[in-house]
Amino acid sequence: MLAHRRFLLTAFASFAIMGCDKAPAKGSPEGERVAATSPNATAAVTEEKSAPGKPVKVAFSAPGADHGWLAAIVKNAREEAKRLGDVTLEVSEGATDPASQASQIDALVAGKPDVLVVLPTDGQALTPAAQAAMRAHIPVVAVDRELASPSAYRTWIGGDNYGIGFSAGNYIAEQLNCKGNVVEIQGIAGISVTELRTKGFNDAIKRCNNGVQVVARQAANFLPDKGLEVMEAILQAQKKIDAVYTHDDDMAMGVVSAIQNAKRDKEMFVTGAGGSKRAMDLVKNGSLYRATFLYNPSMAASAIRLARLIGQGKGLRDLTEPEVPSRIQVPATAVTKENVNTFLTFGYE
Amino acid sequence: MNAANAIAPRKPASRSEQVRLRRIQDFALTLVLVLLVVAGGVLRGERFLNYENLKATVTQASAVGILAIGMTFIIATGGIDLSVGSVLAFAAIAGGKLAGGGDLAFIAAALLAGTAAGAANGIAVAYGKVVPFIVTLAMLTVARGTALWMSDKTPIPVGELETLRWFGAGQVLGVPVPAWVLLLVAAIGWVILNQTRYGRYVVAVGSNREAARIGGVRVQRVLLSVYAITGLCAGLSATLLTGRLASASPIAGNFYELDAIAAVVIGGTSLAGGKATVVGTVLGVLTFAVIFNLLTLLDMRIEIQQIVKGIIIFAAVLVQRKGA
Repeated sequence: MLAHRRFLLTAFASFAIMGCDKAPAKGSPEGERVAATSPNATAAVTEEKSAPGKPVKVAFSAPGADHGWLAAIVKNAREEAKRLGDVTLEVSEGATDPASQASQIDALVAGKPDVLVVLPTDGQALTPAAQAAMRAHIPVVAVDRELASPSAYRTWIGGDNYGIGFSAGNYIAEQLNCKGNVVEIQGIAGISVTELRTKGFNDAIKRCNNGVQVVARQAANFLPDKGLEVMEAILQAQKKIDAVYTHDDDMAMGVVSAIQNAKRDKEMFVTGAGGSKRAMDLVKNGSLYRATFLYNPSMAASAIRLARLIGQGKGLRDLTEPEVPSRIQVPATAVTKENVNTFLTFGYE
Repeated sequence: MNAANAIAPRKPASRSEQVRLRRIQDFALTLVLVLLVVAGGVLRGERFLNYENLKATVTQASAVGILAIGMTFIIATGGIDLSVGSVLAFAAIAGGKLAGGGDLAFIAAALLAGTAAGAANGIAVAYGKVVPFIVTLAMLTVARGTALWMSDKTPIPVGELETLRWFGAGQVLGVPVPAWVLLLVAAIGWVILNQTRYGRYVVAVGSNREAARIGGVRVQRVLLSVYAITGLCAGLSATLLTGRLASASPIAGNFYELDAIAAVVIGGTSLAGGKATVVGTVLGVLTFAVIFNLLTLLDMRIEIQQIVKGIIIFAAVLVQRKGA
């Protein structure tokens, strides 16, 4: 069952990367891998084709996984590596600040991997460490957060933070017919993820000409207990709330508890971000949690696949170029009651 | 009673002096609270000054408040506990793991896990003779790590446990259950600290350990007990917080230790030990809760909140030094 879900997940990841399918090319093993757009068909083919090619040694440096999303990132990377028979993966996690992650990367590079995958705690601060790896002829695949210079990475794959804000803004504006009070529960103040998710939202609701008002905007650090506390206080401050835009599904669980404890769940709805399993279950079953916007940790699985292709000197089979593109952005798709069944198996724990 | 006799006469003048100072501190902090409430009333009117908001504020104070009352005992002995936030998460996950067994299983497991972690701290401090700062710093990372490991870094939903939910979100006589529990813990804490021989021993250990020992206090047992009590408080906090959150989270309680310590210190308990006030601690916790509530009602940005909170901590301690 789990394995089945993982295949689907992979399939979606591939689908997201490929955009759409074209005729098989190059006759490489990759050629057959994604032979169809149907997720199930892809999954089946994927399973057969994980037969080992040239072995690739991948090193992965990730920040300390103290959050559902980051935990899923590392989990996905490990599982993907296990599934691809020809990848050996070494993971270093636990770095809490850029300095400790930089030394982690140095240590990984010293082990001479074929490809280095990095999810930087801080893209700016880790650029020199990544550049050092590139100079040592170890291609770098950056995940999620961007490194500051093109000389620091071979490929970047990440989600669309601005897109999450923009999609959520559009969705809420539409649901409220451009009229209503919105509360925004942000992630950690002062990081680009938060700024972009807020900016995208603001830009999207502009079209309502102030019909949609953000009546409260507070940071809850991506933490469920902090989300609970902040929302409890906001519920006291605001008599009339129509929608709550949260920056993260995990954190939103605290927001949901606060609203339910106050018995005001008929008054408003909540949107999340990320695409966790629990959020999708709520979207499917409930009326309070109405949508989540994908920022799926499957991107880590895709990053391992990209690292493998780079290590083997191959391109994506559905593109004409014989090598992996330098930038891949996963869309911030809105998951609502209408399409949640398509994405349910894609949710992370 | 030997101990009390041995300690009390040591500085005959200091006792009444201390009481007087404590009054000044409680008064200063009450003044700060009143000022905050007035400011809230002026700035936000009846959105701030109403019973619902009062209930919400006290409920918010409950988790850190209970930790802070345990912390008061530890700080009274001259110790510190940096691990309470992590132990809270560990207790929540320990309960969550057994949530299949029902509400009672959750609560028992959480209380037991909290007490065990606290007792481990206490043993290392009392019998291992390791500095409390280091012992509890180690426990901070071990407990957090264990919580993440046991939960596989995923929160455990407990929404179907109705008694537990009631603990966090229910009401009795129109007062939220967490507020009752906070009140009860504060009352018990006050009685133990001020009205029992054990309470005098705790303060004696912090004020002069050698004198206490000579006076017949079993110093090691007292030390062990205050850490175990604080662990129990962390388990209780975990129960309330999990009930409110409807989910046991391995990342809950992050930095609660700092909030608890700050509340104890602005309340007037001396970090050097030998001087403790449960009333002050409760006032300290309420001060922070009101600040948080008010600044959130005003939709103040987080950075402003942090600055204001820091200034108030500093100002409160400054007032105390003036008093002393």
